[in-house]
Amino acid sequence: MSSALRRAQRKDLLSALRVSGSPVIVDLSGCPALNHEDIDLVLECMAQVAGRDTQVLFVAGSGVNRVLLEVTRIPSLVPVFNSVKEALAYSETAAGSDTKDQRASQSQRVWGAA
Amino acid sequence: MDRIRKLGVQSLWLTSGRRDGTVTRSELAGFARQGVERLLVIKLNSYAEMDLSDLLRFHCESRNPVTEAQDARGQLGVSLLDQLALRATEEKHELSSAATDCGRTPYQFSGYAKRILAARERQELVGDALTGACAMRPFGKQISDQVWIGEGVSLASSARIVGPTYIGARTIIRAGATIGPYTSVERDCVVDCGTTVERSTVLPHTYLAPGLLIQDGVVDGGFLEHLGWGTVADLQPAGLGSRIPRRESRRQASCEVPPDVSSPADSVPAWNFGSSSAASQPWLQVQL
Repeated sequence: MSSALRRAQRKDLLSALRVSGSPVIVDLSGCPALNHEDIDLVLECMAQVAGRDTQVLFVAGSGVNRVLLEVTRIPSLVPVFNSVKEALAYSETAAGSDTKDQRASQSQRVWGAA
Repeated sequence: MDRIRKLGVQSLWLTSGRRDGTVTRSELAGFARQGVERLLVIKLNSYAEMDLSDLLRFHCESRNPVTEAQDARGQLGVSLLDQLALRATEEKHELSSAATDCGRTPYQFSGYAKRILAARERQELVGDALTGACAMRPFGKQISDQVWIGEGVSLASSARIVGPTYIGARTIIRAGATIGPYTSVERDCVVDCGTTVERSTVLPHTYLAPGLLIQDGVVDGGFLEHLGWGTVADLQPAGLGSRIPRRESRRQASCEVPPDVSSPADSVPAWNFGSSSAASQPWLQVQL
């Protein structure tokens, strides 16, 4: 991915996290192995939602990414899943405690990191 | 090595066998031509606390041309060959550790043995050595219950060491790091601030960045193998770990190590496990 595209994607993702009231799923399966820029972005996402109601969920997408996320202790702070399907299921279960009206008005957004 | 020398061994060779675990015919034929009467071959893919003199006695009494040691799980990679067997290899293509001759009686071993082909098995052997479940002991000084450190280790005052654990020579453990339990950080490593290493082995010349959590893994330079998932991750692109160049590790260590401390361990890992990414299987051949 070019640096310009990466910057644009980062900007879009952080904006989405800023305005979204519903859980945002960040799918990392497009990255075969996370590098330091990817880890930075993951940390920025976490910082963006800290102290707010918005929840960010990560999809590792590969065993290597899962290991790298575990090493950086990220799963102890935010939920990490192996697939988007698992993340959606978790998000729906977590939303079970919310009112039905809230659920109806909110839709989860899935961001793919390529 | 000491156990072998006590047998009155005349010569020792350390050679690299092929990946399929065979010794070439030419190697064995070469020993026959040199007039070697008896050859002990120890394949370094297992650790067995075997009484080699008992193996030799069994071999002589059973009059086998070849005697292979085995336990309940199969062959241990320890074989004794007589000159007759060595000469026979000149007529055969090769001697495989799996090849068996009719009428050969194996030596049954019932003591402590551990295969160390996989990273998980090596980690189990480390745990057994640290807890005294086998005769192997770490190469260093015991500073507290089940905690050993090598020469010139630098431990920050806020670092926490939880036994059973071993820290190899000239390794630096920085502030807030936690090492152990069931962990071996080998020589010339740097574990940076706040990093936790549990139930893992860190192989020599490895740098681990600050704030990491390494659990159930083997780290070799910039690579981490997760023992539970079998996944190997490259830590370097993520800036989480790397291999320390030898010169740099000596420079770092020079601040910590007294000048009179020599470094004989540079050529020999403290545990003699080698690298998890070893391309070939070494063979130790002993002429008796």
